[in-house]
Amino acid sequence: MAQAQVPEYVRVVEELFSKYKEFIYVGKYIQRWDAVSKITGKALFTADFLKFYKDPVYVYTVRPKYAHAYIKSIDTTEAERYPGVIKVLTAKDIPGVNDVGYVIPDQPLLADKKVRYIADPIALIVAEDKYVAAEAAELVHVEYEPLPVITDPLEVVDLKTLKEKEHVRIHEERESDIISHFKIRKGDVEKAIKEADVVVENEYRTGMQEHAYLEPEAAIAIPEADGGVTIIASTQCPFDVRKAVARVLGVTQNKVRVIVPAIGGGFGGKEDVVNEIGAKAALAAYYTGRPAVVIHTREESMIGHSKRHPMVAWYRHAAKKDGTLLAVEANIVLDTGAYASLGPFVAWRAIVHSTGPYKVPNARVDTLAVYTNNVYAGAFRGFGNPQVTFAFELQMDALAEELGMDPVDLRLKNILREGDRTVHGQLLTKEHGVGLEETLKRAIEVIDWYRKRKEYSEFAEGTLRKGIGLALLWHGNSIGVEGADYSSATIIINRDGTVTFRTGLTDFGQGAVWGLVLIAAEILGVPPQLFRIEPPDTSSTPDAGPTVASRSTVMGGAATMNAAYKLRKRINELAANMLGCSPDEIVIRAPEKEDVKPSDVEVFCKSDPSKKVKWTDVVEQSFWDGVPLQEFGFFRAPKAEWDEETGQGAPYVTYTFGTMVAEVTVDIETGAVKVDRMVTAYDIGKVINRVGAELHAEGGAIQGLGYALMEEIVHDKNGVVRTYNLSNYYTPLIDDIPDEIIPIWVESGFKRGPFGAKGLGEPSIVAIAPAIVNAINHATKHRFTQIPLTPERIYLGLKRAGKIKL
Amino acid sequence: MAFDPSKSWDTYPDIEITLNVNGKNYKVKVKPYERLIDVLRYKLGFTGVKEGCGRGECGACVVLMDGELVPSCLVLAVRANGKKIITVEGLAPEGKLHAVQKAFLDTFAVQCGFCFPGFAIAIKHLLDKNPNPSEEEIKEALSGNLCRCGSYYRLIKAAKLASEYVRQGKIYFDVKR
Ligand code: FES
Ligand code: FES
Repeated sequence: MAQAQVPEYVRVVEELFSKYKEFIYVGKYIQRWDAVSKITGKALFTADFLKFYKDPVYVYTVRPKYAHAYIKSIDTTEAERYPGVIKVLTAKDIPGVNDVGYVIPDQPLLADKKVRYIADPIALIVAEDKYVAAEAAELVHVEYEPLPVITDPLEVVDLKTLKEKEHVRIHEERESDIISHFKIRKGDVEKAIKEADVVVENEYRTGMQEHAYLEPEAAIAIPEADGGVTIIASTQCPFDVRKAVARVLGVTQNKVRVIVPAIGGGFGGKEDVVNEIGAKAALAAYYTGRPAVVIHTREESMIGHSKRHPMVAWYRHAAKKDGTLLAVEANIVLDTGAYASLGPFVAWRAIVHSTGPYKVPNARVDTLAVYTNNVYAGAFRGFGNPQVTFAFELQMDALAEELGMDPVDLRLKNILREGDRTVHGQLLTKEHGVGLEETLKRAIEVIDWYRKRKEYSEFAEGTLRKGIGLALLWHGNSIGVEGADYSSATIIINRDGTVTFRTGLTDFGQGAVWGLVLIAAEILGVPPQLFRIEPPDTSSTPDAGPTVASRSTVMGGAATMNAAYKLRKRINELAANMLGCSPDEIVIRAPEKEDVKPSDVEVFCKSDPSKKVKWTDVVEQSFWDGVPLQEFGFFRAPKAEWDEETGQGAPYVTYTFGTMVAEVTVDIETGAVKVDRMVTAYDIGKVINRVGAELHAEGGAIQGLGYALMEEIVHDKNGVVRTYNLSNYYTPLIDDIPDEIIPIWVESGFKRGPFGAKGLGEPSIVAIAPAIVNAINHATKHRFTQIPLTPERIYLGLKRAGKIKL
Repeated sequence: MAFDPSKSWDTYPDIEITLNVNGKNYKVKVKPYERLIDVLRYKLGFTGVKEGCGRGECGACVVLMDGELVPSCLVLAVRANGKKIITVEGLAPEGKLHAVQKAFLDTFAVQCGFCFPGFAIAIKHLLDKNPNPSEEEIKEALSGNLCRCGSYYRLIKAAKLASEYVRQGKIYFDVKR
């Protein structure tokens, strides 16, 4: 009945999902398009373009001495006299709007009244040389009126009452320093808790994680003759940069062109900060008429771009004796630092996932994001979900312990299966693909869970203890109610039979765009090697929405399908004419070889393969016949539903599911942890880019291990960042990785995903930390509730609990 | 107030040095404060040398200097005068791949790729000294290189595979695509 309302572009995806059972390119090991250029050092990243611009100016940002202060005056005269300095820019030099806030306009590009964190930009030095620029920054004299610094979000809000406390306001221009408050209200929590056999209640804390992508942020702005500017930038979201730069310069968006070359990692971090540095470079280009460069040093990157929101949360779970969950209650506070960035969206994603992939009949959850004077927090792989998953998965283990149940059995009792409703009341059907149970069952089988759990529980000699723990996850695909959820792609078949692929989605290492090419190749029959991916360029690639939220494969893939489908239809008709069979019978096939050429590709009739022509002949014919061989594909997700008061609705089109298992060895005398083995079992609907998927499972686990055990941006009480380079901010190195990570893929099939696919980019980090910490808790027979769980925290925790004597 | 380009702002002297990069000699004028990495990247165009931290902590910028592994971000250009330098661009003749690079492809190791020039050089350095390294020796040799995308397993595998290629005398491979 609803069939009539299904838009054409959704129908195409559904049709192809049911039609394709066997695949030539999708799900196969195929080398990404840029691998050779990257290993030979030829791939050009943003800063590399500098070698082509002989006379650039360098832009360096003047940052404050205080994390919270009024600015009384800014004196730039001495800096301007410094040899080699061309200009010093402050807020008054901004021709357009002095704001780069991502979700709400709360973030000046250049502060003039107040600074709110230790790296808040005050002025820009534009100089002939990067050393000169940095030196001159010391000569900008700013008079401050220091304010008390808030680094603990619980100074802003009370965790129990969720009321704003008396404090020195960080954003006086707003009503409150609480930027968002989301709610879930379902059933009768009070009653459920009264009736429960077991109630567990705990407080959890997660740390501020740094993306530490290996390529620091960079942008080069080249002035154009018409007053516009071209920007080469390491950004995940070129269209957002364009919008921000146009606003700051006060020009129309068509005068700003943003080109994205190779990107050395993003993980969500190269979103808003690149709007900021893109605008800085553009301003300098505007004032000097010369190419202008902003390349962050690692230190500037560490203090000057968004981070993962730290979380403080109070959780209460109630269950029956048999383990059936009755209620979940939670107060969740996210520290968004000095500016909102994507904080409101992060808080929303956090609350949607806050009760876990379980049947929860009664729930009361409040999630707040609040300002502090810490470095601002924004998007980071997982986007609020790793934080809450850490909390609810530790709660599940605490509950299992109280009940005397095995953690696996407790989860099996409560997990979401097909036909169940989520806490928001969303019915999960076969169309969503609900493979959570299969991920759990396969993961514990591979690792031999029950035997090891028992064996490690009983062992208590010496200082080395083993533990095994697990954590489950769900992750809503794409952006839900965070914004218009669309994507697009263009496919152009060239006259020589090669293919040009364009999308505004970016690749920062994850390889999702390559997945799109595999989808197009599968439908067209033309091998991926014959495709060329053009770099995102706001002047030629269509706006495909932001490359965030694990949406590239699902949204971009569906858009790609639409473009490829339309092209294939036309080609089939043309070839049918040439060969004298029906269009449905046309097969396009390439021989399997690495250096395949367009003329190797054959087009033939299924019933009579002797009727064949070369792909290149069909393409040539299409030019003579005037059959267009370029197509634009578009896809939009159905509107997400969310009731602000109750959190009821259908927040996401579908969910990726997963089960992570970790085995650890803990030295209880030193607190040192070795993660021995991990299993990562994901239901991603359908594996499209197999290489990319495997790399994600490994890379996400390793980054998650860092989140669990070692990574934390630390501010002192004055808001000064103590971990400002890779020497004091530790990320996993080659010695830290588990001996093995065993990937498992469950392909449940999402009817409205390309060939059934769901996203993996973010899910790959979501449940790693709770799996590891549950394993450590198992090994130490202690209940640690904070990450990063450093050796020091383990040692002190065990010592305070009297579990070790030293 | 505007800057007058006719006035020289940089009073440091230019020093002419000679660098042999990837087998070719370059005469280049540098300032006494200039780092080798900047000269290689911006004056000579070897942008395969990447900067990840500028403090010797990430390994993205490593090059071979007279056969030794050095982070080019910590070397002043003047100190490299007269030295032989190998960057990732010089691992194989144009149009060929070095065994290490071939192994990266065979193990499907590449993600964002920013770390690969550094890993390529570090593995090449290891194999020059020890053509048959154990897993422990590989990890040790690569412990100064950060790969944030987390390709470590494949980098270890690739190092092993490259050592096999080298021991079989297969140093250079054709690029297929
Ligand atoms: S840039 Fe030289 S070691 Fe990181
Ligand atoms: S592949 Fe991205 S840092 Fe190694």
